[in-house]
Amino acid sequence: MAKPKIASDWLGGCAGCHMSLLDIDERILQVAELADIRATPITDFKHPDESGVDVGILEGGITNSANEAVAKLMRTRSKILVALGDCAVFGGVPAMRNFFPLEESLRRAYIETESTDSGGKIPSDPELAVMTRVRAVQEVVPVDIFLPGCPPNADAIFYLLSELAQGRMPEIKDGMLHWH
Amino acid sequence: MVTLTIDNQKIEVPEGTTVLRAAQQAGIHIPTLCDHPALTPYGGCRLCLVEVDNSRTLQTACTLPVVENMVVRTVSPEISQSRQFVLSLIFSERNHFCPYCQVSSGDCELQNAAYHEGMTHWPLQPNWKVFEMDASHPYIILEQNRCILCRRCVRACGELVGNFTLGVEERGANNMIVADLNVPLGESTCVSCGMCVQVCPTGTLIDRRSAYLGKEVKVDHHLTVCVGCSVGCGVDVQTLDNNMVRISGNWDAPVNAGVICKVGRFQPFDEDRERVRTPLVRKDGALKAATWEDALGVIASHFKPLMGKNGDGLAALASTRLAAETLYLFREIFKDGLGCDMVTTIEEGYPTAAPAALADELNSSFEGKLANLKEADCVLALDTDLIRGHEVAGFFVKRALPNGVGLIVVDAEEENDLYPLANWSFKIKAGTQTQLLKGIQAALVKLGLVVDQSIAQPDAAVQEAAQATAVDSELILEAAYRLGSAEKPVFVYGKDASLDELKALLALAKSSGASVISTKGKANSLAAAQYRLDSPFEIKNQQAAFVALGDAEPSQKLVKRLEKAPFLAVQASYISPLTAVADVVLPVAMWAEQEGHYLNLEGRLQKAVQALQPPEGVRSNLDALQAIAEKVGVKVNVKGWQKALSERTPATTLIEN
Amino acid sequence: MKAYRSMVLVSSDPLSMERGAQEVFDQLQKEISAFGLKDEVSLSMVGDVGRHDAAPLAIVYPEAVIYGPVTPKDVRYLVEEHLYKGRIAAGLQASQRELSGRIAWISARKDTLPAENRVLLQRAGVIDPTSIEEYILHDGYEALAKVISEMSPAEVIAEVKNSGLRGRGGAGFPTGLKWQFVAAAKGEKKYVVCNADESEPGTFKDRLLLESDPHAILEAMLIGGYAVGADEGYIYVRGEYALAQERLRIAIEKAEEMGILGENIFGTDFSFRIHVHSGAGAYICGEETALLESLEGKRGEPRSRPPYPTTHGLWGKPTMVNNVETLANVPPIIRNGAAWYRNIGTPNSPGTKVYTILGNVNVTGLIEVPMGITLREVIAIYAKGMKNGASFKLAQTGGSSGSIIPASLQDTPMDFDSYQKNGVSLGSGALLICNEETCVVDLAKVLLNFFRVESCGKCTPCRIGTQRAYEILDNISEGVSGLNDLNDLSLLSENLARLSNCGLGQTAGTPLRDILNRFRAEVEAHINLKVCPTGVCPMSGRILAYAPVMSHSTF
Repeated sequence: MAKPKIASDWLGGCAGCHMSLLDIDERILQVAELADIRATPITDFKHPDESGVDVGILEGGITNSANEAVAKLMRTRSKILVALGDCAVFGGVPAMRNFFPLEESLRRAYIETESTDSGGKIPSDPELAVMTRVRAVQEVVPVDIFLPGCPPNADAIFYLLSELAQGRMPEIKDGMLHWH
Repeated sequence: MVTLTIDNQKIEVPEGTTVLRAAQQAGIHIPTLCDHPALTPYGGCRLCLVEVDNSRTLQTACTLPVVENMVVRTVSPEISQSRQFVLSLIFSERNHFCPYCQVSSGDCELQNAAYHEGMTHWPLQPNWKVFEMDASHPYIILEQNRCILCRRCVRACGELVGNFTLGVEERGANNMIVADLNVPLGESTCVSCGMCVQVCPTGTLIDRRSAYLGKEVKVDHHLTVCVGCSVGCGVDVQTLDNNMVRISGNWDAPVNAGVICKVGRFQPFDEDRERVRTPLVRKDGALKAATWEDALGVIASHFKPLMGKNGDGLAALASTRLAAETLYLFREIFKDGLGCDMVTTIEEGYPTAAPAALADELNSSFEGKLANLKEADCVLALDTDLIRGHEVAGFFVKRALPNGVGLIVVDAEEENDLYPLANWSFKIKAGTQTQLLKGIQAALVKLGLVVDQSIAQPDAAVQEAAQATAVDSELILEAAYRLGSAEKPVFVYGKDASLDELKALLALAKSSGASVISTKGKANSLAAAQYRLDSPFEIKNQQAAFVALGDAEPSQKLVKRLEKAPFLAVQASYISPLTAVADVVLPVAMWAEQEGHYLNLEGRLQKAVQALQPPEGVRSNLDALQAIAEKVGVKVNVKGWQKALSERTPATTLIEN
Repeated sequence: MKAYRSMVLVSSDPLSMERGAQEVFDQLQKEISAFGLKDEVSLSMVGDVGRHDAAPLAIVYPEAVIYGPVTPKDVRYLVEEHLYKGRIAAGLQASQRELSGRIAWISARKDTLPAENRVLLQRAGVIDPTSIEEYILHDGYEALAKVISEMSPAEVIAEVKNSGLRGRGGAGFPTGLKWQFVAAAKGEKKYVVCNADESEPGTFKDRLLLESDPHAILEAMLIGGYAVGADEGYIYVRGEYALAQERLRIAIEKAEEMGILGENIFGTDFSFRIHVHSGAGAYICGEETALLESLEGKRGEPRSRPPYPTTHGLWGKPTMVNNVETLANVPPIIRNGAAWYRNIGTPNSPGTKVYTILGNVNVTGLIEVPMGITLREVIAIYAKGMKNGASFKLAQTGGSSGSIIPASLQDTPMDFDSYQKNGVSLGSGALLICNEETCVVDLAKVLLNFFRVESCGKCTPCRIGTQRAYEILDNISEGVSGLNDLNDLSLLSENLARLSNCGLGQTAGTPLRDILNRFRAEVEAHINLKVCPTGVCPMSGRILAYAPVMSHSTF
């Protein structure tokens, strides 16, 4: 049997979940032995194979139209879709923005921050992706496995990857289950 | 007893037990949110759903009474699916994003429940409504966004405290926990007892001071006794790295069963007095830092020559916030060892004088227990304001009022917060209380509720009392009728009640079958009385004075009287006007930094444990006294402290905890 | 009994009162006296009889001529023409139009309806509800006298049990059994509570019973009190029913004056007092345990059961809680016997049922028919067919305990068991008849909006579930539905029923279940095609939050 293919991507998040993935340290070699790691944001290939992958992993919430497109692409190209981390699972920290009008958050981010000089302005290029309410991945595409955590700890990620690489569905519970 | 089966386990419990409590007794875990052992079952959150044989639907274990031969299952796919659904709904209602919250990862019962059900995500997303946070209260924050509307706080406020400040506004999804008629908590009738904070399962009602200082699951817990007053509530002092983080009521404490007031919970954190960190000795008119050795030497050099002198010798005072051991040692040193003729406490026996005298006279204990007060169906409060002091005892009364408990208040004070709560409040001229009590006694006879041959003309006696007290005789009769028809009446009297009043009260208690309780004064007033450290204090020609002040706050009057002493030594935790006029100050531990025993108002002997290490160079009050004893060459042995508590007949029998 | 030649009824619903019905009544009294007709013509106020367009109304029997709107100025002419000269007062008659409500019923009875059977409404519109004498003359308090003088409490309960009477509040619980539970419950003090907090949408049967025949309810409560050993009763009346409350208070006063209520009734040991308590506008207080909480002065939230009110009711005492219509059945049962009662209706659901008909039909209003009549019969006979010849799509049986009845069930007998067998329920007796222009999503949205607003908020599934279901339906109707909507709706519907504390939540999911089961294609059209087949839903595609999501690729 060919090794299962794994791809990952990140959406509206902080990349911390991918950092936590790297925290599995040398065990990455074990994963690499069992699975074929394809496109990830931290490797050369950026998009999942057109021919599809077995496992697609998404980090981050859906904050704009670009995120949505990435999520949909990953969904169409993967057999099993994993939402990795609080942002992908719940919306996470980016979803705090949902409690305020968008304009208010943008003004705070681009104009009112202490580090911004008087010339700060909200980007308005039509080429830019359109901001939306921040959503969990499951609100946009069906998700098969949820691994919450901010970030999920390395052991949980390793467990998830090694189970999937060996063709088993991981069961996230007890010590592996953390929401922050 | 009823026998039932839960998860194939046969369990026997008393009739009336709920399935939830039965399961808990058998060590079977059923997740809950709205339930709290100290509150009446509510059945709102629907997390405790279980399967019951012959039941059409799932049942809430928290409200379901056990029935003989009932068969209950707490684990099944249907149950787990239902619980997950209930949690999904709760998570979708408001902002329950854990990373935003101070109680998450340990203290949050909602999060724990979700972990227990293995929820990896929320099937329903929140609708992103924002609710206003109420930070108007000095101690408590009401963060509506984290509220799950379990109404524990509402029930605690009403059922445990009797304050009924918190309530629920509006219907359905518009439900909101509000204070009074939706005013900011800080402007409400809240009495800051913090019980709502103690029972809140999420981060909705939080102690603003302890936010992020340490979760309950992470801190060290010290089950001890509050020394705020003579009620002696059990508290849980929580510390982290030798810092006091928060104080909660101890649910298992026999006195208060978890309920405490602001004095116990919040006020210790308001402490802003400066600590005495090193011994101080007056040199050239100013207090200078000194070593313990030097300071003790100065004290000894002044005290030793005065040994055994009368009138112009040594006067010694102790705070009644000190532990029994400390008070006992204090007596041993100054009364027995140095033979002083003026050894007493700061309270001068004032709060205990009348009951102690009566107990001596009767040669027996005559007071009842707090348990009587908790079960009372009619309460008469004499010369005491149970709201402004001894507040937890006040809670016991307040919370019973909605159940039809009658409250009669007799006092000469202009203000007493019990007046507005009372069914009959008699605000009368000082000194006429005895007459009113006798009037009530006569009214009982007139109403035919009591036979008392000594009152030949009850009608006239009632009228006489009414005239003397300027009270409508109808009201006296009404109150008497309520009292006379009560099955478990309790009288509570305060420190201002005179011996005469007390005798009249006892006579009335006898005829109406009431228990009598006195509020005493500070934490160890009763112990002081038992050690006979209860005489009035007077500075005559004493050449020196010593005050074991501990962490107490000296009154201006006390400072004024002590200033006259040619030499004054004080052992104190904090800088105060008294330490300012002292010649030697010894730094001692505050209440949480030392251990010792306290005798509460019902004679219950309870141990306070040490929760904090005192700052370096600061000794416990007991150690400081021991050092003085050594230095002045008095042989002492603290071991006799407990036996000495029974040296005289106590006003109420002593109970060992 | 005095025999009258004519009878004049003046409508006294709130609208009529506002428009001067009292003045008209006073004027009529004056003019009737002036013409010397006092002994020949009876004059009374009646409750809401419909025809609000012509309020206030004066109806003259036996001709059943409807005059309206009548002003005090018209009265002299009316009395002179109709009552004195015996001809119809031309020009004063209410305009000819499709009759509705009770008037339709009154008008239609001339042609003798096939299934008509007035047991509960026997006296409605016939007697003056403020007159105890008229009630007594029409068999009133006969059942009470029989019970007190001839029957033991056990016999009364046996009679009610044998009659097969089932609760008319919606759940259909056997009334005799409930009485037996209360009678058997331990305790000195027991209560009888009449649930008159009628607030199910479209239901106004109890209101008519209370306004037109208040003594019947008092009599039934007295009989109930005698049977279960209670000496005190409460009638919890919906706050908006001011007239019903007033009529009840008058009735209680008169009954007390006559010694029918109070101490030692009819000279026996039996004593009974009745209090009227006004609700404050909360639908949930129609739920019996919430009603009890409210009576006790607390926030109206349903209690957890068990224990049931039959053993732990008002102030913890055994309490018999019955709906107005249920109680109204009791005196006729006692008077005529259980066997007689069983002849009416179906074997498992004996008796008659009062329905309120509303919706897209020609005649709306209130009817009393035997249990077991079919929806088709109701629409054809009583409602005089669908309006404009439209076809029947569904009926909603009213309130939280009702269902959406599809056309396929219109030949199912309307009784408790037949409906239950088909997975629907009779509800409180409202029949909202809808034609094919009704959108099921819209209907469910309206119903869920009602439930979410009226949920007390005590239990999680109801408080949040109704809100979430409403939000989802609202989104669907706006064409902005989400990925999981269908799934979430069916989850909500199923779990509301299983997990809620009381009837409100337990049945709030029913409309969801019904539309998903019986009209799924229509719902799916909304979600998948963003089309409302009936064109009712706005389908605005309105923005949920922020900018619309554009599905352009950045690749």
